[in-house]
Amino acid sequence: MGLDIRIPLGMIFLIIGGIMAIFGLATHGDAALYARSLDVDINLAWGAIMVFFGAIMLFVGKRKKWQDTAADPRPWEKGDATTKAPH
Amino acid sequence: MNATHLTYIDWLIMLVYFAFVLGIGFALKRYMRTSNDFFLAGRSIPAWVCGLAFISANLGAQEVIGMGASGAKYGIVTSHFYWIGAIPAMCFVGIFMMPFYYGSKARSVPEFLRMRFDEKTRAVNAFSFAIMTILSSGISMYAMALLIQTLGLFKGILPDAMIFHVSIVLSALIVLGYIFLGGLTSAIYNEVLQFFLIVAGFLPLVWIGLRNVGGWQGIKQTLPPSFTHSWRGMEHASTNNLGVEWVGLTMGLGFVLSFGYWCTNFLVVQRAMAADSEESARKVPLIATIPKMFFPFLVILPGLIAVSMGSHMAGASGAAGTPASVAAAASQPATAVTDADRPHGIVPVKTDPITGAPVVDASGQPVYNYDLTVPVMLLRFFPTGILGLGLTALLASFMSGMAGNVTAFNTVWTYDIYQAYINRKGSDAHYLWMGRMATVGGVALSVAAAYAVTSFNNIMDALQLVFALVNAPLFATFLLGMFWKRTTGHGAFCGLTIGTAGAFIHHGLTLPVGDAVGIHGGWIHVVHQYPSDMAQNFWTAIFAFAINFVITVVVSLCTKPRPEPELVGLVYSLTPRPVETHLEWYQKPSTLAVAVLGVAVVLNLIFA
Repeated sequence: MGLDIRIPLGMIFLIIGGIMAIFGLATHGDAALYARSLDVDINLAWGAIMVFFGAIMLFVGKRKKWQDTAADPRPWEKGDATTKAPH
Repeated sequence: MNATHLTYIDWLIMLVYFAFVLGIGFALKRYMRTSNDFFLAGRSIPAWVCGLAFISANLGAQEVIGMGASGAKYGIVTSHFYWIGAIPAMCFVGIFMMPFYYGSKARSVPEFLRMRFDEKTRAVNAFSFAIMTILSSGISMYAMALLIQTLGLFKGILPDAMIFHVSIVLSALIVLGYIFLGGLTSAIYNEVLQFFLIVAGFLPLVWIGLRNVGGWQGIKQTLPPSFTHSWRGMEHASTNNLGVEWVGLTMGLGFVLSFGYWCTNFLVVQRAMAADSEESARKVPLIATIPKMFFPFLVILPGLIAVSMGSHMAGASGAAGTPASVAAAASQPATAVTDADRPHGIVPVKTDPITGAPVVDASGQPVYNYDLTVPVMLLRFFPTGILGLGLTALLASFMSGMAGNVTAFNTVWTYDIYQAYINRKGSDAHYLWMGRMATVGGVALSVAAAYAVTSFNNIMDALQLVFALVNAPLFATFLLGMFWKRTTGHGAFCGLTIGTAGAFIHHGLTLPVGDAVGIHGGWIHVVHQYPSDMAQNFWTAIFAFAINFVITVVVSLCTKPRPEPELVGLVYSLTPRPVETHLEWYQKPSTLAVAVLGVAVVLNLIFA
């Protein structure tokens, strides 16, 4: 239906992953902060993975043509001029 | 429990999520031109999107919080709710039932019942379903507000007395906003978003948690074998953590309850009905089974990790899995196990919300709050930053549970109650308007239900019980309706109502060992005692199903069936099989179903 879900999905992962990765970079080496995650800079690592996933989703979403647009007639409207949506 | 300290990064991540949730609603608003767009997503959504929404609508608080809690309390045996209690039923609905739901052009499950049977059968299903969706949504809302209050997320920002109310109002406004604007499409899109966020939030939790406890081998060495084997001791109710034997488990959970939920509940079926073709609709539940199969590792494993931390049960290390230790575990009756006897690791003790004092049971032992297992894990392992993601995942699960119920309610209200009994001749634009008003009404009633849960003791238990009793006999009606052409509307109606009554009577005559007469059963007269609540639930479902089945068959044989031409497209034997000649063997839904069932068997064997 008009909007390809992969685009908002890619965007939210890019933004949230980006926030985490940048925060992870800024706090890299903060032993007190990352003691909870067993000394792993989980913000940087997981943020980067999320950015990667988001970029793939956005790329695929932009390339693939979503099968429906707002102006397309719905399946039950096809062949029925009386109910066809205005273009 | 101490208040959670969040930083601006955590809040920023949560704000981004809420901005996207509402943004999707706004982006989809212009596509909502007809009632079909609003209620059925224009039947234009690809199978994979509907598939993820199919499981996400079910991935509410009960699943994320409840399965983590159950994992902590009972162990990997909780996986039966997935590998026995979901996968076979999801395959069945995709292969056998979806052609009828989708092909009949019914707009809802109650409408399908009217097409197959009659108006009165539809009415029973429509009204009971509408009430249950509102109550379920209210329970989700209540649980979320309670969790936010317990975690102290708004502490220091809002007065303590206001936190619960603000949480309720905020969650209601957000869910209302995105469904009002974008209808079912908005709910489905957000469910997909929520699905990926839940996975993104919980996967690192499991990874760090497993590292902390030495992986699966570490868990096995720490916990008793009954926690790490799903089929051990299932030959008898007294020799396993669930307190139910394999017949009750496979027939009650694996057949009656699971098929009753996944095959007849409009909340999930609605997602498949939004698919862009019948072929896609059949694939929706099958696609959903793939992540569903692996969800135990995401939601149950955190519970096991939580109880492994700091726990070391006698007989676990070294002797784990040996015949002697199994026998020793098996000799302990399940009913004799109390919370204090179980490993509880970092699971917090339940505290009195007013005094803050630890809650103790009748024998003076502390009562553990297993519902806090997953939140405690998040706070324990996640530093600020990813903690915002983890909490977003948790909130997303509550939102998807609420939204799923509200979209199912607005459709059933508009098509099966308003259009059927109040205004039959409205224009399409009128029904679209009514759908939006039903969304407002549904959310308002959910808020009322959430406060009702707050106000009355035990109402939550009572509601869960009523859901179980009303749902228990449903599958027999659909099974006979779709696969036996002789089934009549009178038969279905009598079977459904008497089956439900049978479920209540069975509950009133039985009681789990150790429970008091009342809400747990025995309110008529105790004629039988079950070893556990779960055994009672499963056997109630089996009795209700059997009563419905027999009554429907008997009444159908005594009443006049509908002419066969009227049942084409509604009954298996009278409906042409879906054409699959254009599909390669590996593209066929049946191939996917066989593969999925095979993997489910392998998972059962690995963790047996």
